[in-house]
Amino acid sequence: MKRTVSLTLLLATGTSLAAYSGPKVQLTYLHGFTGPDRPIMEKLITQFNASHPNIQVKGQAQPWGTTWQQLGPLVASGRAADIVAINEDQVTGFIARGALTPLTPTELSAAGIDKARFYGPLWATADYKGMSYGVPVHSVALAMYYNKDLLAKAGVTKVPTNRSEYLAAAQKCTVDKAGKHPGDAGFDAKNLNTWAAGVVNGWMGGTIAYSVSRQNGADLVDKEQNAAFTSPGAQEALQFLVDQVQKYHVSPANATEQSEIAAFRQGKACFNFNGVWMLEQYKGQTGLNFGVTPVPQLGTKMNAAWGGSSHLTLPRQRANYDKNKRAAALEFIAWMTQPAQNLTWTAAGGLPTQPVVAKDKSYDNNPVSGLFEGLPNVYATSGYPWVGQVRGAWDGAVEAAVLGKKSVTQALSDAQKEAAKQIEQARKTIK
Amino acid sequence: MTTTHPRAPGGRRGLHDNHPLVPYLFLLPHAVFFLVFLVYPIVFGLYISVHRWDPLSDTQPFVGAEFYLNLFRDTPQRDFFWRTLINTLLFTAISVPLLVATALGLAQLLFRPIALRTVFRSIFFMPGILSVSVMGILWRWMFENQSGLVNNVLGALGHPTIPFLTTDGWAWVPITVGTVWWTIGFNMTLYLAAMGNIPTSVYEAAELDGASGAQKFRFITVPLLQPTTLFVVVTTVLASLQLFGQPQVITAGGPARGTQSVIMYITEEAFSNNQFSSATAMSFVFGLLMLVFTAIQFRTMARDIRGGDRT
Repeated sequence: MKRTVSLTLLLATGTSLAAYSGPKVQLTYLHGFTGPDRPIMEKLITQFNASHPNIQVKGQAQPWGTTWQQLGPLVASGRAADIVAINEDQVTGFIARGALTPLTPTELSAAGIDKARFYGPLWATADYKGMSYGVPVHSVALAMYYNKDLLAKAGVTKVPTNRSEYLAAAQKCTVDKAGKHPGDAGFDAKNLNTWAAGVVNGWMGGTIAYSVSRQNGADLVDKEQNAAFTSPGAQEALQFLVDQVQKYHVSPANATEQSEIAAFRQGKACFNFNGVWMLEQYKGQTGLNFGVTPVPQLGTKMNAAWGGSSHLTLPRQRANYDKNKRAAALEFIAWMTQPAQNLTWTAAGGLPTQPVVAKDKSYDNNPVSGLFEGLPNVYATSGYPWVGQVRGAWDGAVEAAVLGKKSVTQALSDAQKEAAKQIEQARKTIK
Repeated sequence: MTTTHPRAPGGRRGLHDNHPLVPYLFLLPHAVFFLVFLVYPIVFGLYISVHRWDPLSDTQPFVGAEFYLNLFRDTPQRDFFWRTLINTLLFTAISVPLLVATALGLAQLLFRPIALRTVFRSIFFMPGILSVSVMGILWRWMFENQSGLVNNVLGALGHPTIPFLTTDGWAWVPITVGTVWWTIGFNMTLYLAAMGNIPTSVYEAAELDGASGAQKFRFITVPLLQPTTLFVVVTTVLASLQLFGQPQVITAGGPARGTQSVIMYITEEAFSNNQFSSATAMSFVFGLLMLVFTAIQFRTMARDIRGGDRT
């Protein structure tokens, strides 16, 4: 897929790139883009090598999980790759454990990397204690997909952007086998023909709950990086989701991520909350007339949504590591995160990492552009080294509440206790 | 020829057969692998489990039995390790009898020269070549809460649907049924091979004495297959205890860790929580339990095979 780079982008790349002029170096670049996005990443690496005769970058693609397992021991033995792409939920853990090196303001400006060019929260994902450790190369976000035909049939004329609009649309979308809506006499919540969106559990359920919680101004951790599940904002968010099932009856009970994907594809659900990565699958569904939009403000305070991202980082190396390699690696990072390259990269299904790319004309007829206005409000689960522990406990709480096993208050306070114990243990190894 | 020993070519004295080093040289290749890939990791693992170990940490302080004791104190490890261990034992208790008895039954049916025998053997063996992710996605799709095939059939029959994947207990059904479907062919093939080794004269003698088909199966086939059964049971128990991929793909361990296996939890502790020492300690405790189980099986079943002490 060839794209013509528009004038805006060419102008944007006008930032002077300090070209690396040292001796010829070879760099290894480890990343986890092993899917359909792999050829695009490899094409970009080839382009970089062709335009930088004194830097040869060798890309290595391996599954993310393998990298998380191996990076620690590799750094410890001084054999890590020169450049490693790390995801939003892992990056703070590696920073805090001392696996990555900070990119100093001097280095960044020498390489021509301007953090002001990127979406603020996206750049901050790889910040820790006032230092930057990575540059965003890839961005995804939670989105809301909506079935245009089903909404029209239900008499919803405007795609909801806030809680009251969403609830009104949800009520209209939900119809039982006898044609009754929630609230009608004799409405049968157990036999729905169509519905708004099923409230799911598992990782996706936790991700959606996190998004609504952020919209209430509540993060999963407090300033001391301790679990903060019992905050009023988190409680309110989870209660709102549970109410979709138990009070408003606009979601079937026991929905799963997969059953909701199937329901949306079959035209049974008006809405589907999932990552931007579902776009291609839904595009391939014949007869599905859908749109995509940022997550509406289901919370009470602000717009926000979960975001995922990959960041180019420089791992800690041996004491006698070649300074030229580091300079060349920074040059590679600078080039790879330029607007022109980011535009090429988004063809693989990622979102723009910087506003200037989102403005590009080539998106004018692309449904994904419906998401762009939400990009400044995309927040990753990062900034604390125990994302795994926190998310594990949080997802468990969401599941227990959504499945009706525990009250929202009980589920959150149990999970808070569990996370607190896990964090206390983690603090003994992570200083 | 009355030379004492043949000489190595080239006139140099070679190692002759009764040189004391010869047997050790034969053992050397295996010993190297054994030491590098088994003994060293076990020793290093023990070291990790009694230190607060992180590959990236400058200090690896000695903490003694802390991570072993955590399994008995008020910690998340105590809560989750034993719960997932019970899950795993439950799965083993349900799946092993199914996997052994069904395999034996299938083998008995497919041993006879019936029409299309080879086709059926292939059909039962075939699922085993799928990867766990393919098998998992397939069975998750079959038992999916609203859109799954099973619930579609139930709905068509006017039966209320069952949310298999999010209900305690029911969530084991796709995992167990899927596992039996996936791995039955291997045990069946072992039994078929063993049945081929039972001399037909034994059956002929039984027939002359007027034994029925069921009696032949009970008094000849089953006892003579004992060594195979021991092997099948031990390998199936060990495989079931190491349950990982099926619940990972089908239920992700849910609902509320209800189908999380102990290996899944150990993996989570190591690679999601970065608690390597804790995970290693749990691995040793679990490994010890597996050793005990295997020893018990060998003792009970090997006695049967030897015929016990007949007085």
